[in-house]
Amino acid sequence: MTNTGSQDAVIIERSFDAPVDLIWQMWTDPEHFAAWYGPDGASVPVAKMDVRVGGTRLISMRMQTPNGAMQMWFAGEYREVVNNKRLVYTEFVSDENGNALAPADMGMPAGHPTTTEVRVEFEDVGGRTKMVMSHAGIPADSPGAAGWAMAFDKLTARVEAHTKR
Amino acid sequence: MTLDEDRLDETFAALANSTRRAILGRLAAGAATVNELAEPFELTLPAISKHIKVLERAGLVQRGQRAQYRPCALDAARLEEVATWAEQYRPVWEARFDRMDDYLKTLQPQRKTRRPR
Repeated sequence: MTNTGSQDAVIIERSFDAPVDLIWQMWTDPEHFAAWYGPDGASVPVAKMDVRVGGTRLISMRMQTPNGAMQMWFAGEYREVVNNKRLVYTEFVSDENGNALAPADMGMPAGHPTTTEVRVEFEDVGGRTKMVMSHAGIPADSPGAAGWAMAFDKLTARVEAHTKR
Repeated sequence: MTLDEDRLDETFAALANSTRRAILGRLAAGAATVNELAEPFELTLPAISKHIKVLERAGLVQRGQRAQYRPCALDAARLEEVATWAEQYRPVWEARFDRMDDYLKTLQPQRKTRRPR
């Protein structure tokens, strides 16, 4: 695997057939945001967004599971707000008041970053919009060891120990 | 490095099973035959073979062609691709942006692709 330093970040570039101000609203208008953000079969009943540097955000996702409805909360803070250009915010698992919860309490794997950062860059390209989103864990400690499940973490460590560098 | 989405889906599907993860764990310690792999499990050889085939298709395991017992070995490269925190989020975001695209079409149904002149 090439060491690009991006292993601990998801970077996705997309182009949309819509003007840049509409794509900006997709991220900053709670009604628009709720329309696309939740996974299939889930709803976003709460999306509070104080879109300014230092402003807070609180998102709730409700989904049906075999054990009944489950509601999760995510909170965070806006770090950079440049209209139609750049949006940066943090995100962490929280209670309904926006207080941080330990990821382990939510059944998330160990090694999962407590706080993550979402960065979105917007660019007008002749009436269409190019969007580059990156989602990174902060701090990005031991990215190679941060797997998607505890068992998997251990497995990866064993693989690395047995793989020649 | 670009990750093939379909391939990644296949890899995650293969990993979404505790028996198969245990098999990979055993192979991390070194190559093994199907018989050796079956030992710790209360499963029949055909059942274990089935799991190994899934891992093989997902590119996680390679099988020797030469030896009679065709020992299984771990293909670590594929595992490293998906073993990062970030990669579990990639399919989530891709699905979100697909929905954004669909939603945009409902918002601006009149929008046409610009005609070339």
